[in-house]
Order: sequence, then structure tokens, then C-alpha cells
Amino acid sequence: MKILIAIGSKEFSKPTLNLGMKVAQAFNAKTTIIDVGEKISEFSSQLVELAQDQMESWDFDPPGVDVLEWAFNYLSENNLIDVTQLETGFPKNRLIEDGEDRKMVYLSGTVCEDVNLILRNGDIISELRDEVQYGKYDVTILGKSRKRNMSHDLLQYINSSVLIVNNYDNQKFDKILLPLNDADGMMKVAKYAIRVAMALDVGIDIFTVINKKSLNQERSYIIKKVIKLIRRSGVQFTNEEKEGEVVDQIIKKADKNKIIVMKASNMSPIKRYFKGSVPLSVMNESDVPILIVK
Amino acid sequence: MLGFSNISLSNFLFWATQKKWFIYAIFIGFILTLLPTPNGLSVEGKTSIVILFVSLILIIKEPIPLPAIAIFMLISQIYGGVDNVDGIAKSFMSDAVFFIMGSLMLAVVIIRQGWDSRIALGILKITGNKTSGIALGFLSISAILASFIGEHTVAAIMLPIGMTLIRFTSSDISKVKNLSAVILFSIAYGCLIGSIGTPSGGGRNVIMINYLNQSDISISYFEWMIRTYPFIFLQIPIVNWVIIKTFKPEYRILDSSIRKLVIKVARSRSITGRNTLTVFIFFLIFLGWVFFSEKFGLGTIALTGVFLYLLGGFVKWSDLNRNTHWGVIILFGATISLGTSIRSTGAAMWLADQILYFFGGLIESVPFFSDVVVIVMTTGMSNVLSSSATVAVLGPITLNLVPNMLDIGLLTAMASSFSYFTAVAAPACTIVYSSGMVKAKDFIRIGFRVGMVSIVLLIMYVNIFWPLIK
Repeated sequence: MKILIAIGSKEFSKPTLNLGMKVAQAFNAKTTIIDVGEKISEFSSQLVELAQDQMESWDFDPPGVDVLEWAFNYLSENNLIDVTQLETGFPKNRLIEDGEDRKMVYLSGTVCEDVNLILRNGDIISELRDEVQYGKYDVTILGKSRKRNMSHDLLQYINSSVLIVNNYDNQKFDKILLPLNDADGMMKVAKYAIRVAMALDVGIDIFTVINKKSLNQERSYIIKKVIKLIRRSGVQFTNEEKEGEVVDQIIKKADKNKIIVMKASNMSPIKRYFKGSVPLSVMNESDVPILIVK
Repeated sequence: MLGFSNISLSNFLFWATQKKWFIYAIFIGFILTLLPTPNGLSVEGKTSIVILFVSLILIIKEPIPLPAIAIFMLISQIYGGVDNVDGIAKSFMSDAVFFIMGSLMLAVVIIRQGWDSRIALGILKITGNKTSGIALGFLSISAILASFIGEHTVAAIMLPIGMTLIRFTSSDISKVKNLSAVILFSIAYGCLIGSIGTPSGGGRNVIMINYLNQSDISISYFEWMIRTYPFIFLQIPIVNWVIIKTFKPEYRILDSSIRKLVIKVARSRSITGRNTLTVFIFFLIFLGWVFFSEKFGLGTIALTGVFLYLLGGFVKWSDLNRNTHWGVIILFGATISLGTSIRSTGAAMWLADQILYFFGGLIESVPFFSDVVVIVMTTGMSNVLSSSATVAVLGPITLNLVPNMLDIGLLTAMASSFSYFTAVAAPACTIVYSSGMVKAKDFIRIGFRVGMVSIVLLIMYVNIFWPLIK
């Protein structure tokens, strides 16, 4: 299992890193923390690089290194990395160029496999997509953006499961909300929910919305299998069914203390691009963390 | 769908999303091509305007790499019948392109010479320990240096000096936000203010000289300085005042930080004989610009300097090659080529006529109105486009607006330095912005004030000072 956690600033990324590392711990995953710096106009990019070389000669770090240093300190303070071999804190000298516009430092993890810190520059979606393709990550974790298109682009173009960290409060968080339907791939979603629930020692609220349009009101074979799987895992769970519009019901059910874990849409990319999807609508409208499993 | 897998469809959608501005630009270009050619405009002229319009969208939004935009500009002129292959190739390489190439390479040599620590000492000796005086020092030194060696070079040299002074004042940047803004904007705006002072101050000046030469008008290095340099001295105190008033710095005196900076500079490596020799070679280049640029061109002299630096082993070719943005050079070549086509096809004249028609005789009857139109148009464009590209595109049009081509040409070049409003338009602003110590909204806040003041000053300057020296 490989997890990519995208951070952007010291001010806003703490909840993302906090929940991201918990999920990484749950899966004992190889974890990479990435900061994507702002895209610089091509007109000035070379000159900015020249200026940054000059700044380094005056002991100034390139932009973004401070964010990685903050992430390093967070990991170190919470004993999430092994720092016994690092006497002087964040090893800037080990931040090596690894491809065009990509710098990386390797660290040794404690609660999960190795932790890498990466610095890239450019358009966030494009850079995350490249990184996911390059590193073959299973889950990408990042904070919710104010840009509405961002959620759409993440679901549409990032080839991994996506966890959007929104209003996450470590102290209050107490349940996972697992909306079910009878689509293929629901077992994988359930397994993700169980792993996270077990690691964080919380229960699961199974929630099935029966759409009026749907003629089949009986729970399908797949849903029964999912419930059986959760029961066998020993995780506490509740099971509820409701009638109504899927998105509305999920939003109503997802109060502030929950994390939603749901399946990505099975629609074709073209349909999804123009029509949107249930997970996208839930992601846009809910104000809790949401993991969309692909 | 049609045998395509979901992954290929997703890849296609991603490509289309990333390139959406390219698709829009081509679509708009196609629609414009289908429209009938207006009276008084040749088919070639109309095609060159369409290519210009499409290219502007591409340059502003950058959906494809800059070299690809340059190639698009060149090949579309040939396929569109604007000119033949030889004509386009000839207009692609000019002295202005030589100058931009030489200037970018000279920047690599100069920045590596360790002059920054000497400059830092120089500033501190002149300015004393008052924040307002230090800001004035940064602004003045940046402006004077930029007028000779180019804004981007000076910004790269001055930025770490300014940042060190800020860091020595407080290691917590949030406590010195205003001081950071004062020092860094003094550097960035100083570079912009100075870049108009001599022809070698910026590529746009050389581009304008290139267009003036095409109209058989020549201007020497000294003449340019006489016409423009006093404006630098006029702007410096006023812009300094505006910056200080906008961002009231947290500290009025920077006594201890200055002492720390002096100690740091004293500990830095000393200047070697080779460093002095690079200064001497640059001085020779400067003399060449002053005395021989009319005969040989500024670009040729700049490249001669690069040749001497390579010959003397002051810089390695690998270093020049790695740090020179060839894409930008190709793009400026293509933009100047398109500008030349716009002029030669009569499109520039037609566009100028449209501007005159639009303002219904105001340009001819109201004093200063043509200056206002040119300054506002150039300032607006140079804040979304690069200033050199603005002059390359607008130059042929503004030169046709009024009979006095030299005055309007100089005015266009000067107004193109007013890219104060955004962090992306001028390299000096982008370099300062890349420090992370100033925000994009700071540029809008201060840029609007400095921009408005500069526009008013320039209108007064060209209408009061220029008639006096004539």
C-alpha cells in the first residue's frame, strides 16, 4: 500500500497531516508527503531559478523547504519517523533533485513504512497526477480546497483513491459513515473502512439509501456480503436504511464527527465529466472528511 | 466508448482540460478567419491580426510551452500567406533578439561574481540606519544598476541582500510583514523604474529601437538616456514615499540588523582579480553600447561581451546553457517577426486607424489624449503580458498613431515598465514574489497606487520636460 499526502502550508495542513498519518498507520503504508509550490510563469522560471541559486549562497532555502521542514518536525515530535540518526533536525542536505522540478528526501518511518518528503512546483492537479502515476499510489490525501473545480478534477484525473480532509478534529471524531449501494467494488470500500475503523478504534455506520427510482428495494447480495464482512471483523457497526435522494440523505446523516468512506462512480469519464456523480456531489456539499475509493 | 478504454478517455479529458485555452484560442482564431476582411485591410493583414490575437491568448494563459507558441506564430504566418519562408526567417532574427540572448547570458555571468556583498555594503554606507532611508537606498541602487544591466539581473542580486536584512530584524516573518514589503517592493519597483533609463535596461527598449530603425529613425544610447533618465530621478522619491505610506514598517530604525549584515558581508569571500576583470569587461561592453551601438547594434555588443567571458573562462558554456531560457529567446524572435509582419502588411496602420476612429478625433483635438491612450493601453497589456512582448506587439501600432514616431515610441517603451500590478508580468516582480515574503494581493494594493502615480507623472514629464530639451 502506498499513500501520498499533499500539504500546502504550515497554517492549514496540520489536520491533513494528522489524519493522513493515521490512515498511513492503519495500512502500514509507504508514505510520501508532498508540497506542490506555485506555478511560475515560464517567462521568468529560469531567472527565478538563478535568483534562488543566489539566495542559497546567502543561506536561504528555496520556497517550500520550510513547509517540508515543518512536516518533518511534526513527524518527529509525534514519533512517526526515526530521527535517531539525524542529529541536526531536518536533513536539508539530503534533499536531492530527483527529476525535473522534483526534490526528495528519504526518511525512516516508525509507525508505517518509509516516509518520503517531496517538493514539486507547478499546477497542483497536474503535479499530483504525475506523482500518483510515477509512484503508483493507492490513496491521495489532501485538504479541501476553496476552488470548486478542484474536487471535480481530483476525482476525474487522479488515478488513486482520494481522501479529502475537511474540518477534521482529532478529539471529536468518533464514527465512519459507510454509504452502501449494490455496485461492483463495494467489498474494497468496506475493507478500507474496516482498516481505518480498526486503526482508529471507532465504529462504522452502514447507511443504505433506497432511491425511489430504483425498483429493487431489497438489499442485494453484495450489500449482504459487506455487512457480513464488517460483522466478522469485529468492528462495532450500526445499519440503517433510508428512502430518498442519495446525496441529500448522505449529507444529512454525515454529522461533524464522522468520516465518509464511499465508492467512486462507475460511470464513464465522459459522462462523469459532464453529469457529475454522487461522490462528487457529496464531496462538494459535505463538511466532513471523505474518502472516495477507486 | 468507440473502443476507447476509460483510462484513455480520462487521459484525453485531462489533456483537453489542461489545453482548454489553446482550444479556445484556435476556435476564436478560426471564427475570426471566417469573418469578411474589413475595408482598408489586406487579407495578409487580417491574417496577421488573427495570429496576433490567438498568440496573445496563448502567451497570457500559457496552455502550451512558450517555444511551442513561438513555433505556432512562425508557421501560421507562413501557412497563412502573411509572408514567405525567407521573409519570416529574416524578421525572426534581429539585433533585439541578439540583445535578449546576450542580456540573459550576461545575467548568468554577473550574478555569479559576488558583487552582491559589495553592493550591500555600498547601500548601507549611503543610507544610514533609518528604514525609510534604507528603502530609498534599495530603490535607488536597484534603479541605477537596472538601467544599465537589466532588471532581472539586479533583482536576483538585490533580493538576498534585502531578505537577509529582514531576517536579521526578525526571524519570525509574520512580525515584519510590512518591513518585508517595503524592502522587497523597493527592490522590484526600483528595477522596473530603472529599466527605462538606457537602451540596455531592458529587451523592450531594444525592440522599440529595432522598430524605429525599420522606419529610418535612429536614436543613440546617450540620446535615449537624455530623454528618459530624468524620469527615473523623478520617480524614485515619489515611489519611495508611496511604498512607505502604504506599508508602514514595524521598525523605524534597523540599527542591530544593519550591524549584523555588515558583519556577515565582512565574513563573505573577498573580491578576486578575476571578479574585477569581469567588471572591467562589462565596462567595455557599456562603452561599446554608448559609442558603437548605432553602428553595430546593442545585441552584437552584448554577444561580444558573452564571447569575451567565454574566451577568458569566466563562465562555462554548460552554465550559460543551463541558465539561459532559450524558449523565451525564440518567443521574442517570433513575436518581433509577427510585429514586423503586422507593420509590413498594413495591419498596424489599420489598427491605429481603428483606435483613432474609436476615439472620434479626441486624439487629435484634446491635448495629451494620445499619450493617455498609449500609456493606458501599454500599462494594461504589460501587466498581463511580459513588457518586452507588449512592446513587440503594440510598438508597430502605437508608432502609427501620431506623426512623431520617436516620441510615441519612447513613450510606449517607458509605459511598458509600469508592470507594477501583478507578480507575474515582470521578471523582477516574479523574482521578489518567489521569496514568499510578499503576497499577490500586496502587488495589487501597492501596484495600483504606484501605477496611477507613474501614469500621471509620465504624462506630465513628456509634455513638460521633452518640449524643454527639444
